[in-house]
Amino acid sequence: MIKLLEKLPRTECPKFLHRVIDGVCGRDPPRLHDYSSVWSLREWLELVDTLSSIFRTAIGKKMSDEEVQQSINWLDIGYQEAILTCLKGRKEEIRQALVEKTNAISSTQLQDFDWQIKLALSSDKISSLQIPLLNLDLDTKENGVLKPLSIEMNREELQNLINSLESANKVVLQLK
Amino acid sequence: MEEVDKILIHSLRQVGTEVGEDVLSVKQFSSELIVEAVVRCLRVIEPSLGSGLSHVLPPGMSARFRLGMSLAQACQDLGYKGEIGYQTFLYSNEPEIRSLLMFLVERLRRESAESSDQPAGKSALLQRAIGAKIKAQLSVPWVPPSCRVPFLCQSQTPGSLHGFHARPLSLPQSSKVSRTTTKELKEYCQEHLPPVTAQMSQQPSVPASLLEWHAAELSAALEWEGEWNSQGLVSRLTPEEYKARKRQRFRKRIQDQLRHAAQSRSDSQHASRSSSDLADLLRSFTGGAGGRDVLAKGTRFTHTEKFAFTQEPEKAAQQMTTAAESLPSSRRTEQDLQAQQEEEVTSLQGQLEQLSLRIEEVGADVKKITVAISQVSDELKQKELGNAEKEQSLRVKKQTMDLLPDAENNLDKLQVLVEGSAKRVVSLASQWEKHRAPLIEEHRRLKELCSSRELESTRRLSEIKGLHEKIRQAAEEAKKKEGLYRQLMTEFETLPKDVSRSAYTQRILEIVGNIKKQKEEITKILSDTKDLQKEINSLTGKLDRTFAVTDELVFKDAKKDESVRKAYKYLAALHENCTQLIQTIEDTGTIMREIRDLEEQIETENGKKTVSNLEKILEDYKAIRQENSALAAKIREA
Repeated sequence: MIKLLEKLPRTECPKFLHRVIDGVCGRDPPRLHDYSSVWSLREWLELVDTLSSIFRTAIGKKMSDEEVQQSINWLDIGYQEAILTCLKGRKEEIRQALVEKTNAISSTQLQDFDWQIKLALSSDKISSLQIPLLNLDLDTKENGVLKPLSIEMNREELQNLINSLESANKVVLQLK
Repeated sequence: MEEVDKILIHSLRQVGTEVGEDVLSVKQFSSELIVEAVVRCLRVIEPSLGSGLSHVLPPGMSARFRLGMSLAQACQDLGYKGEIGYQTFLYSNEPEIRSLLMFLVERLRRESAESSDQPAGKSALLQRAIGAKIKAQLSVPWVPPSCRVPFLCQSQTPGSLHGFHARPLSLPQSSKVSRTTTKELKEYCQEHLPPVTAQMSQQPSVPASLLEWHAAELSAALEWEGEWNSQGLVSRLTPEEYKARKRQRFRKRIQDQLRHAAQSRSDSQHASRSSSDLADLLRSFTGGAGGRDVLAKGTRFTHTEKFAFTQEPEKAAQQMTTAAESLPSSRRTEQDLQAQQEEEVTSLQGQLEQLSLRIEEVGADVKKITVAISQVSDELKQKELGNAEKEQSLRVKKQTMDLLPDAENNLDKLQVLVEGSAKRVVSLASQWEKHRAPLIEEHRRLKELCSSRELESTRRLSEIKGLHEKIRQAAEEAKKKEGLYRQLMTEFETLPKDVSRSAYTQRILEIVGNIKKQKEEITKILSDTKDLQKEINSLTGKLDRTFAVTDELVFKDAKKDESVRKAYKYLAALHENCTQLIQTIEDTGTIMREIRDLEEQIETENGKKTVSNLEKILEDYKAIRQENSALAAKIREA
C-alpha cells in the first residue's frame, strides 16, 4: 500500500507528508481534491491511513531510524529518506499530540468552550427584566464523537458552577 | 450672587440638566427646570432615591403636587435642613431654590470626589467603558432591519457569529517543543510551514486558536514559575533535574495506581468487561510516551487478562451448541451436516480441553519440580558450607597433633611468636594512630566546611526568595501605578477645560480680601461711633454741670433782681427746648432706621414673586377644581 506514494513526484513528497503529519497532530489533513489526478479515492484513503499509522507508531514506540527504515523498506530509497526527514523534523510535535491524546483517557472530555453574555431586557410577563444571562457552550468529546452542550445560566448558577470547578481544581492540585 | 449662580448652573449642566443658554441666574429658573435639576442631582447622589422620580413635570396638577411632595421628602432624606415642601418647587422663590441647589451641588461634589479617589485598574476601566457602550446602545430605539442607517447596522444587526473553536497550531518558537533545533526542523520551518493565518481552513478559528495557544503558554509559564519559586528553589536542583525527578515521581505514582487497580480487578474475577477496558487503556499507554517498559512487566495482570479472554469464547461456543441443539429440525441434510460438524466440534473441544488440562498438569509438575530443585540446591549449599568449616577445624587439629611431641620447645617458640606479633600489632596501632589523627582532622574540617556551605546556601536561597518576592511586588506595584496613571490621564483628558480652577481660587481670594477690607472699615466706623458716643456723653455731662452751676447762680441772683428772674425763666425755657430738640433728632434717627428695615423687608417680599405666585396658585387651584369636577362628572356618568 505504501508503494502508492511513489506515484507522487519525489519533489512533491515532503509537502504532502507534512500535511499528513498535520492531520496526525489534529489540524486539517490533506485533501483529495488537490491530489485527485494522482490517486483514486480508495488508494487515497489507504495511503493516508497507512502513513498516519506509520508516523504514529514510529514516534509512539520511540523507534530508531533503522527500525523505521525497515518498516518502509519496500519504498524507493529517495522516498524513504523523505519520510525520515519529515519524521525527524516533526518528532516533538507528533509526540506532543500523542501525549495529549493519551491524556484524554476518560470517556468524555472537554474539547473546547465558548461563552456569550446576554442581557434579557424583558420577558412575556415582565416588561423590564434586565437580567444578565450567560450562554456557555461546551464541546465535549464522548467516545470520539463531538457532542455540543449548551447551558444558559444566571448569576447564581454561574457562581455555583465556578465554585464546583474551583474545588475540582483544588483536588487536581493536591494530586500534583 | 452671579458667581454662585454661574457655578451652580455649570455643575447642573455637568449632571445632565439642559439649562438654556439664556438662563444666567437662579432667578430665571422655571418650575420645570428646577424639578429637572433637582431630580438629576438626586439621581447622581443617591440612585435609589432618584430612579423612581421623573425629571419631567407632569401636566396634571395633582400629579405635580405629588411629585413636589416626593421631591421634598427625598431632599429631606438626604439631610436638607431648610424649609422645603411642594411649594418650593411649584411656586419657587429665589433664595430658597438657591440654598437647595447649593446643598445638592455640594453633596454632588463630595460623592464624585470620593468615587474618583479609588484607584481603578484596567478591568474597572474596561467595565466602565462596556457599561457606557451598553447604556448608549440601550438608549437607541430599535429600528426594523430595512430602515437601518449604517450607524445602527453596527449595533443592531447581530452580525455573523462565529463560535470559539480553537485548534492546535504549529509554531516554531514555542516552549512546548524543545529548544534544540535540528536541521530537519529548520528545513521544515523554512520551507513547508505555512503562516499561522493559512494553517486553518476556517478563518474565524485563527484568532481563537491564537488566543488559546497564548493563554495555555502563559498559564503554563505562570504555574511553572510559582512551583519553582515555592518548591523548586528549596530542593536545590537545577530546573532539569527537578523536572526529571518530578516526572519519575509521577510515573511511579501512576504505576502504583494501575497496579492497584489491576489487582483489585483480578480479585473480583467476574468483571471481564471493565478489565478489557483497562486493557485498552494499557495498550493506549504503550502507544504513548512513558512507562512502557514498566507496564510490559505487569505480568500478573496480563495473566489474569489472558485467563478471562480464553475462557470467554469457550463459554460462548458451549452456549452456541446448546442453542443449536434445542432448535427444532426442519431440514434433514443440513441437520446431518450440522450434527456432524457439532460432533467434530465437540470432539475437538474435548481434545482441546484434555490438552489444556494436560498442559496445566504438566505446568504444575514443572512448578513442583523447580521448587524441589531450588530446595535441593539450597540444602547442597548449606552442606558444602558445613563441609568447609569441618575441613578447616580438621586442619588445625592435625597441626596441633604434629606439634605435640616436642611440646616445650614448641611452646617457647609459640610464645616468642605471640610476643612478636603483639609488638607488631602495637607498632601498627601507633602507626595507624599517626595516620588517623590528621585524617580525622581533615574529615572534621571538611564536615565543617560542608555545613557552613550549606548554611550559606540556605541563606542565599532565602535571599533569592526574598528578591523574587520583592521583584514581583515591585512589578505589581509598577503595573498598578501605571494603570492609575493612565486612568488619571484619561480622566484628566475628559475633564472639561472651560472651568479653570485658578480663576475660581483667584476670585475667592479677591472676595476674601474684599471682606477683610470691609471688616476693617466696619471696625473703623464702629470706633468712630464709639468716639462720638463718648464725646456726646462728655458734652452732655458738661452741659448738665454748666446748667446746674448757671441755674444756681442765676437762681441766687433772681431773688434780688427782677431782670435776672426773667433771664432765669429764659434759661429754663432754653434748656427745655434744647432737650426737646435732641429728643426729636433721636426719634428721627430711629424712624429712619425703621424705614430702612421696612424697605429691606419690602425688597425681600418683592423677591419672592408673591403676586405672580399667588396668581399661579389661584390658577392651579382652579385647575384642580376643574379636574375634580371633571372626575366627579365621570363618576356620575359611570
